[in-house]
Amino acid sequence: MGLFNSTILDVIIGLIFVYLLLSILCTAANEWVAALSKRRANTLIRGIEQLLTGQALTNKPPPDKEASNAPPTDKEASNELLNEFKTHPLIKTMFNGENPPTYLSPRNFSATLTDILSAAHEGKSEFANLLSGINDLPDGKVKTSLLALLRRSDQEIDDARFVIEGWFNDAMDRVSGWYKRRTQVWTIVIAAVLTLVANADTIQITRKLWTDPVLRSAVVEEAKVRAQKPRPTVSVEYKDEDDPTNPTVTRNEGNELSGKERELLGQLIGWRSGWRENWSWFTPLGWLLTILAISMGAPFWFDMLNKIMNVRFAGKSPDEKAKVPEKSGSTVRA
Amino acid sequence: MNSTKRVQVLFLITALLTSSSVCRAEITVALTKGFVRKYKDKATISTTFDIDKHHDHPNPIGSGSDDGDIHIAGRDTVVRLPMVAEIINGAKEKSALDFLLQSTAGDAIPLTGVWRLWFEHPGNTDQIQGEDVSIPKNTNPDHIFEFHPVVKFGSFDVFDSFAPIEDEEAEFRGYSAEKAFDAYEKRPGLITRSNTAIMTQSNKAGFNYAEFQMRLAGKPKDVGDGFIVFANIYNANAKTNDDPVVDESRRMVFVKGTNLLTQ
Repeated sequence: MGLFNSTILDVIIGLIFVYLLLSILCTAANEWVAALSKRRANTLIRGIEQLLTGQALTNKPPPDKEASNAPPTDKEASNELLNEFKTHPLIKTMFNGENPPTYLSPRNFSATLTDILSAAHEGKSEFANLLSGINDLPDGKVKTSLLALLRRSDQEIDDARFVIEGWFNDAMDRVSGWYKRRTQVWTIVIAAVLTLVANADTIQITRKLWTDPVLRSAVVEEAKVRAQKPRPTVSVEYKDEDDPTNPTVTRNEGNELSGKERELLGQLIGWRSGWRENWSWFTPLGWLLTILAISMGAPFWFDMLNKIMNVRFAGKSPDEKAKVPEKSGSTVRA
Repeated sequence: MNSTKRVQVLFLITALLTSSSVCRAEITVALTKGFVRKYKDKATISTTFDIDKHHDHPNPIGSGSDDGDIHIAGRDTVVRLPMVAEIINGAKEKSALDFLLQSTAGDAIPLTGVWRLWFEHPGNTDQIQGEDVSIPKNTNPDHIFEFHPVVKFGSFDVFDSFAPIEDEEAEFRGYSAEKAFDAYEKRPGLITRSNTAIMTQSNKAGFNYAEFQMRLAGKPKDVGDGFIVFANIYNANAKTNDDPVVDESRRMVFVKGTNLLTQ
């Protein structure tokens, strides 16, 4: 019997189908967690904090502290510039209610910072005002950084803004890296939780598919239906269709799981009564394989399902429907 | 399940899982509807291009990637996607080339180029217009958008670069029309829309250059910075009675000011 007989292929199709459904659930959960935790906005704030924290604005106590004769705490004093930045009108207008912005352009960052630093000075040029503002700052890491940056400018305000934008861009590059890493970590965490809660053990699933021809056949039939559905896609919305600022990205993972898919998933995964039925020495390996598989994402498994379906059903039966372009009016398959 | 079968199935599961490292999923590029509307019938886009990395000499002329281009990786505020600009026949455009070689990372250069969305270097991450664009670490970062060919770099027109890629020693040849257009026509692609964006999903593409003969199938339309015309595609050496390599005519774009247009 060859390796690629139909039973083995059907088991593989069943596995891919399960991975696809679990990936869809995982992605939905990840999007939900990201929205709930304001992950993108918080990552941006963290990036700005890393740039501006640890810098006082004046050596004097702030007015309210002056009135109460209480000097600012070290922490308050060292975050004066950061707090001033966060409450600046240019930044506040980007808030959506209480929700902070998810994107800040280098230009806005530079404009806000130079405005704060130049505000109290009316010198002979904008550059001179900015330089005076920076020189007047108490010693701190932002003052040191800005003076170093301004040495690279040509005594022109445009150059100064440009190098500040570059400084911000470098920081945002790190922020993008953090965001991607956090999303990847969350994907694995959610995949692990999902796998354990649902006891999605790849080896158990394989065993069930192998030993139960009726279940296997039902799964393959449903996998066929799934393969005919639209590929999981990314959907993007902007606040203004002429302005790409602040895109909102949602993963439109095809359709939701159908009742039949949920039912089949329930037969293939889940906890059974009696630990012996759930546990073997291979169980951790089975979980690990499932977590690894889910973290690859739904689009990957959708593509894989289609490819293996083509192998399995090469020489299509006459009653099989040919794939046609979507006619929803919103999708074109080229 | 006997032990042999178990080993076979485990082997297949492992193969399935490890294959992810070599299989590339499809990538989505998203653009605002306003951007699509503004540029869909334009030959070029003008922007201020913030240079991050550039080659220190044009590619040699030969075969494969030796296509005579000079690559510039950077970012901008009009397109706002990961991008690369390429001046074709870079060695022939001395003034623009000297200007480029003198520029350094961080320089903002006015640039006009033919826009191109092609999944030649898509990477593994969706490219959403307006999302933060990472600073390129080399001259060929993951990107789908290109200014290729560049039409104007700084104050230098590079119209003369729109010419066959050749020097005294070699001539660059593209893929045959039959091969390249067969691949173009078979490319998988999914275009979807939301209220404000157009998303295009596809996977890695090839066949950067093709040699073909075109026969106009309609009247050229003046789009301001160029002409757009539908044409039938034939092999480069096709004779009058030969069949086109593609059944239907395809849209071709010419840039105003280039020699090719006047020819």
